[in-house]
Amino acid sequence: MDIIHFSTEDEINLLVIVVDVNPLWWGQQAQREAEFTLSKCLDAVMVMGNSHMAMTRTNKLAVIASHCQDSHFLYPMKNWGSSDGATDDASCSGDGKYELLSVTNNVIAEEMRNIMLKTEIKGNSTATLLAGSLAKALCYIHRVSKELAVGQEMKSRILVVKASEDCALQYMNFMNVIFAAQKQNILIDACVLDSDSGLLQQACDITGGLYLKIPQKVALAQYLLWVFLPDTEQRSQLVLPPPAHVDYRAACFCHQNLIEIGYVCSVCLSIFCKFSPICSTCQ
Amino acid sequence: MDEEPERAKRWEGGYERTWEVLKEDESGSLRASVEEILYQAKRKRVMETHGQVRLGMMRHLYVVIDCSRSMEDQDLKPNRLSSTLKLMEAFVDEYFYQNPISQVIKPVCFCETGNPKKHVAALRKAVDTVCAGEPSLYNALSLAVHTLKHMPGHTSREVLIVLSSLTTCDPSNIYELIKTLKSLKVRVSVIGLSAEVRVCTVLTRETGGFYHVILDESHFKELLMLHVKPPPASASSECSLIRMGFPQHCVASLSDQDAKPSFSMSQLDGDSPGLSLSGYFCPQCHAKYTELPVECKVCGLTLVSAPHLARSFHHLFPLQAFTESPVEQHTDRSCQGCQGRLKDRSVFSCPSCFSSFCMDCDLFIHDSLHCCPCCIHGPSVS
Repeated sequence: MDIIHFSTEDEINLLVIVVDVNPLWWGQQAQREAEFTLSKCLDAVMVMGNSHMAMTRTNKLAVIASHCQDSHFLYPMKNWGSSDGATDDASCSGDGKYELLSVTNNVIAEEMRNIMLKTEIKGNSTATLLAGSLAKALCYIHRVSKELAVGQEMKSRILVVKASEDCALQYMNFMNVIFAAQKQNILIDACVLDSDSGLLQQACDITGGLYLKIPQKVALAQYLLWVFLPDTEQRSQLVLPPPAHVDYRAACFCHQNLIEIGYVCSVCLSIFCKFSPICSTCQ
Repeated sequence: MDEEPERAKRWEGGYERTWEVLKEDESGSLRASVEEILYQAKRKRVMETHGQVRLGMMRHLYVVIDCSRSMEDQDLKPNRLSSTLKLMEAFVDEYFYQNPISQVIKPVCFCETGNPKKHVAALRKAVDTVCAGEPSLYNALSLAVHTLKHMPGHTSREVLIVLSSLTTCDPSNIYELIKTLKSLKVRVSVIGLSAEVRVCTVLTRETGGFYHVILDESHFKELLMLHVKPPPASASSECSLIRMGFPQHCVASLSDQDAKPSFSMSQLDGDSPGLSLSGYFCPQCHAKYTELPVECKVCGLTLVSAPHLARSFHHLFPLQAFTESPVEQHTDRSCQGCQGRLKDRSVFSCPSCFSSFCMDCDLFIHDSLHCCPCCIHGPSVS
């Protein structure tokens, strides 16, 4: 019989949510389906963030917005000069909500507005470069784990809310990030809104996280709370969506076809589908 | 008599006043000096040679652990043998993590497989070995040569010896064997636990390996980890394309009528749980295996999965070292990686995108991440 583990005071759970806010994709989405826009998506993310912080007092949250060419931290902000915003007048919400949650929501909304106003869009690709946001998330987690008090343990995971398609150019950087996450025992979960992403499927498989392509975008909040809110220990007690079948076949460098038997160069590790005496990458 | 390089021994040089490195500040505390030493140690780890050097990715490493009487010495706790075996377990894990398509063979335990768990299990069993007798470098090396000379030319052939005794009992002339090793392009490295032994110096110098003598247990660990990275490939090693298979992971669900449970080939080693529904099927002969990477016992095809190869990519495209500059030159006081404050003495900037990082991020990026978080935001990546 399984024993349910209660988190102790000394265990911190850090959740980093990476939201894909590619404005080109969201703009097209607003024209396709008016009921589900970026603001609705952010509402669902805020609900998820609030629920995570409400579960235990020691839970921590960070939110990163992944834009076309850069990623920005929506929460927490870099305000070390002043106090942590608790004395800010705007944060005293009249409806009696736990102050930390209302501060979080306000900060996220404010930063999102700033990003959308200030960032210039170069190029017109609807593919988002997630590897950079994941790398920054890992650096942040690494810093927080160094700043813990003695005796505290930390478990972290990253939740990616992905909207647009994969960018095939970043395969190698993505794999580097995934292996770094696996080494640090950080789970990567993925909630995909539109098209399936092979890179994220591999990430979830290698790090042990959950991959889900949601059938109805308007119910995003429901899926986030049901599938992605419980942490690792609780997931074993729940009936969650089964893991996706991941295709690990390699693609050959000459034609980009998926192959089952190939020829690998012993020096540069490039994969070819036909044998040739000289490797075209490294000779 | 071969010439030795002119290298002064410690006692031949002048006096080194090591106590002058530590300096006290006004209150008498050594904190500043200790921090300086730690800082230099951290920086040393990041300073590595970067360059497009051809590396030997497919490695056959033969590890020889000395089990003679001197291994029962207690200068490493609890005794040298247990300490060595414990560090070996960590080495094996790290080695297979960084070099997923290599092999490690240990004559102490005679266990040849690409699976790190078997090595670790064998190492744990070897703790009970009774240490007796004298070691023989000649016998160990001839055993290694016997196996390694049949390995294909494109793999790197390496031997790592952990030698604790100061003597060796050889049945024949070891210098002849050293000549044979050199002609077979076998690279021998030695880690000494007691003191420097001249025959080891000659051995490693002739074959192109490293010879180090440990200072303490943490130094031992550092030296072992030096061998995890792939060594530069010798210019004469052949470069060829090796045929490999990339099997799919097939999971038959229980509700499928045609799904038949089957035995996997790891049954032949005697430690598989039995019938199973899921596994990897060799694309050439459809033999089933539970884990990768593995060499198919039926048809001889090496089976790997794409992430295994991707793990070695960072050796081929190493990340440049970041440039160090004092913190006063930077007006923006936050680290671009972790969004924390820049509170160290120096700031590290990436030479391509000029973003600034704190020291912890710099270490993390070079040790684990292997890519600059700001550079990979641009669409043009290698």
